[in-house]
Amino acid sequence: MYLLHNGHTPVTLIDLDLVEPFYTLRPIKVQLEAEGLEVIAWETADTLGLGEAGNILKPDMRWALKKEGSIIFDVGYGIDGAKKTRLLEGAEELKIYVVVNIARPMTGDVMRIVEYVQSLGRVDGLINNSHLGDDTDLEIIEEGVEVVTEAAKKLGLPVIWTAVEEKFAEQIGDYDKKGNPVFFLKRRMQHTFW
Amino acid sequence: MAVVPNMPKSWRVETKPHKFCPGCGHGLVLKALGEAIDELEIQERVVFGCDIGCSLLSWDFFNCDSVQTHHGRTTPVVTGVKRARPDRICIAYMGDGGGYAIGAQHLVNSAARNERITAILVNNCNYGMTGGQMAPTTLPGMKTQTSPYGRDTETMGYPTQGPEMVAAIAREGAYVARGTVANVRRLKRYIKSALQNQIDGKGFSFVEALSGCPTNWSTNAQKTWEFIEKEMPQYFKVGEIKTPGKKEE
Amino acid sequence: MSEKPIEGEKRVFMTGNEVVAWAALAAEADIMYGYPITPQNEVMHYWTRLAPKYGRSFLQTEDEISAGFTTCGGVLSGKRAFTATAGPGNILMQESMTMAEMMRIPTVLVVQQRGGPSTATVIYSQQEVTMTCFGGNGEGLRIVYSTCSHQELYDYTIKAFNVAWKYRFPVFVLGDGYQAKMRESLKMYDPATKGIKMVETQPSLGLAGVPGVDREPSHLRNTYNTEEELCEVVTNLVEEYNKVVPEVVEYETFETEDAEIVLLGHGIVTRAAQAAVKTLREQGIKVGHFRPITIHPFAADELRAICKQAKKLIVIESAQGQFERIVKEAIYGESVPMESYFKPGQGITGEEIVEYVKKGL
Repeated sequence: MYLLHNGHTPVTLIDLDLVEPFYTLRPIKVQLEAEGLEVIAWETADTLGLGEAGNILKPDMRWALKKEGSIIFDVGYGIDGAKKTRLLEGAEELKIYVVVNIARPMTGDVMRIVEYVQSLGRVDGLINNSHLGDDTDLEIIEEGVEVVTEAAKKLGLPVIWTAVEEKFAEQIGDYDKKGNPVFFLKRRMQHTFW
Repeated sequence: MAVVPNMPKSWRVETKPHKFCPGCGHGLVLKALGEAIDELEIQERVVFGCDIGCSLLSWDFFNCDSVQTHHGRTTPVVTGVKRARPDRICIAYMGDGGGYAIGAQHLVNSAARNERITAILVNNCNYGMTGGQMAPTTLPGMKTQTSPYGRDTETMGYPTQGPEMVAAIAREGAYVARGTVANVRRLKRYIKSALQNQIDGKGFSFVEALSGCPTNWSTNAQKTWEFIEKEMPQYFKVGEIKTPGKKEE
Repeated sequence: MSEKPIEGEKRVFMTGNEVVAWAALAAEADIMYGYPITPQNEVMHYWTRLAPKYGRSFLQTEDEISAGFTTCGGVLSGKRAFTATAGPGNILMQESMTMAEMMRIPTVLVVQQRGGPSTATVIYSQQEVTMTCFGGNGEGLRIVYSTCSHQELYDYTIKAFNVAWKYRFPVFVLGDGYQAKMRESLKMYDPATKGIKMVETQPSLGLAGVPGVDREPSHLRNTYNTEEELCEVVTNLVEEYNKVVPEVVEYETFETEDAEIVLLGHGIVTRAAQAAVKTLREQGIKVGHFRPITIHPFAADELRAICKQAKKLIVIESAQGQFERIVKEAIYGESVPMESYFKPGQGITGEEIVEYVKKGL
């Protein structure tokens, strides 16, 4: 939405949906499209009878990088999401940012983040998105800022943003305690479960 | 002077005489196995799993820790033990139904993974314990309770070539052989090689033993031996099929 | 790396399958045997990544029959072994779980229920209740925890190992696709910091010493020759199970003291039921909720006490009466009227329960 409202159009959102395909954009595709985004994702009706075999790459996705404007890929939450970009044509030109939530134990501390990010191959920056879902509080956000910034330093990478929910806007401000720019999020994914 | 029967040291005297039918080949296979265990001095380390079917009667046969499982499921139970306790020498003992029919997926996949276990399969061309039904190894034309007019290869196929199947899928390091109770010394050599292969950690090891079932074949001693020595080898070739380090013929 | 997977206590946010893997690590599980099936897969995905770092093992088997039996083999070797499955995989696991019941093999099996019968959906249901509680050719001599949140998935996966090894009956953690795949916050902890001591394991096979010389061999029998003998064996097993029941049975109640209408639900449905109780109470309607945590064995006496004062029970489940059958058996002879709200294979919200209750007033 940020890209859309700041003239980086057209904006295409691509849900690869290959890794642990449970939080997918499918259910909110229509809503996002009404707001002006182009969404490339499977629709449930298209996958009738696939059931178990939800793990299928849509041909449009492979060629999506050839499109004009801004292109955002959601490669997925899972362990292996980052590897899936190899399936795409022209992926070399992408900026690759790793979203880190310190409340996920696999990226729970500086050492683990460093280890994890180094396992991914080329990475251009970190996005700190440390949260506990509905139970998010200032404490976890600030701990995330500390830990992710420290990890980024070790990795020699920039922290592109600290991403936090809009409701924390007043408490956090435009820059976090480590001076990273803050990006405010509107949560939509609660509606995306199946 | 009392006659002391010549029993392997690893046999459990208290459970002898054993409960197999007179003339059954299991006793001979288990004797070969017992002697192999003795000679390799591994009694303390052996975990012995037996299948359901006649092989279950071996559950208290040895002075070794042992477990009765389910029909066809001895291979996975023993695999589970070996994965949890790699220091043990794990033996899965089964019949042709357990290994080639209901448990075929386990045998084949254990071989493919090169599990460091030893599977010993007794092939007597039928399901003995359940009353003589047709088995994967029943010979063409052979009459059983479920092939009363003889095994028709048109509708029921040919006898499963077990060791050949295992050898085809097993990796380098595996040991595969087919012996026979008609030559116990050779059978023992194969079983010993199989166990040694496990001890050395080289890979999966598998020995099929051709054996007789006079009760269900309804044969006397002479006919039983004729069948084992003359009929079965027409379909089941005795010999080592895969040995680590040796080029395949 | 030999440090503990979790030091002290840690707030985290993740999927339920990931929780199970961490809980098994924290519970000092030694080995997982598994076979892929949705929605359970990520238990294996995380276990396979984490286990080697802490000296634990994994085996991917050829099917769930093998996963169940290799788990039995691992447990017989004296290791904390576990597996996880769902749906058609749960069917195949039942064979090995009967062996675990008969031979007192303390296996731990995590079930993430999917829709059935048959292949159906990979998403969610509560249709594996009957199978998980009573599957196989036996008497249901097992302990089944029906969890409702990631915190419980964590707590009860750890507990499952201890209850299994303490009482030597197979223990099941009955989750579902929602719990498996949702992300939710919880507190992970090192069991020791909560005063939880992991029950020591004992090998049944591969004991020390030369059998027949230093000790008797361990000969584990699983076949019986006579009706009388089997009857005695099973009767003894049942007696021992019944002795364990009061020690393991768990349940929760919500505002049942003066409730006229009592909602019965288990697993994730309890969350909808709890929400409904809250809403309805705010509207002055005397509604309560009873929720078994051990769905088997079942807290029958406690529910009976509630039946005496309630005017109506409503059984709510994402299945066509599998839970209701357990309830009916537990309160046989009570006269309180019973209604049912069944949605086989589909999720249930608090709002729809509120609506259903109000329609019946």
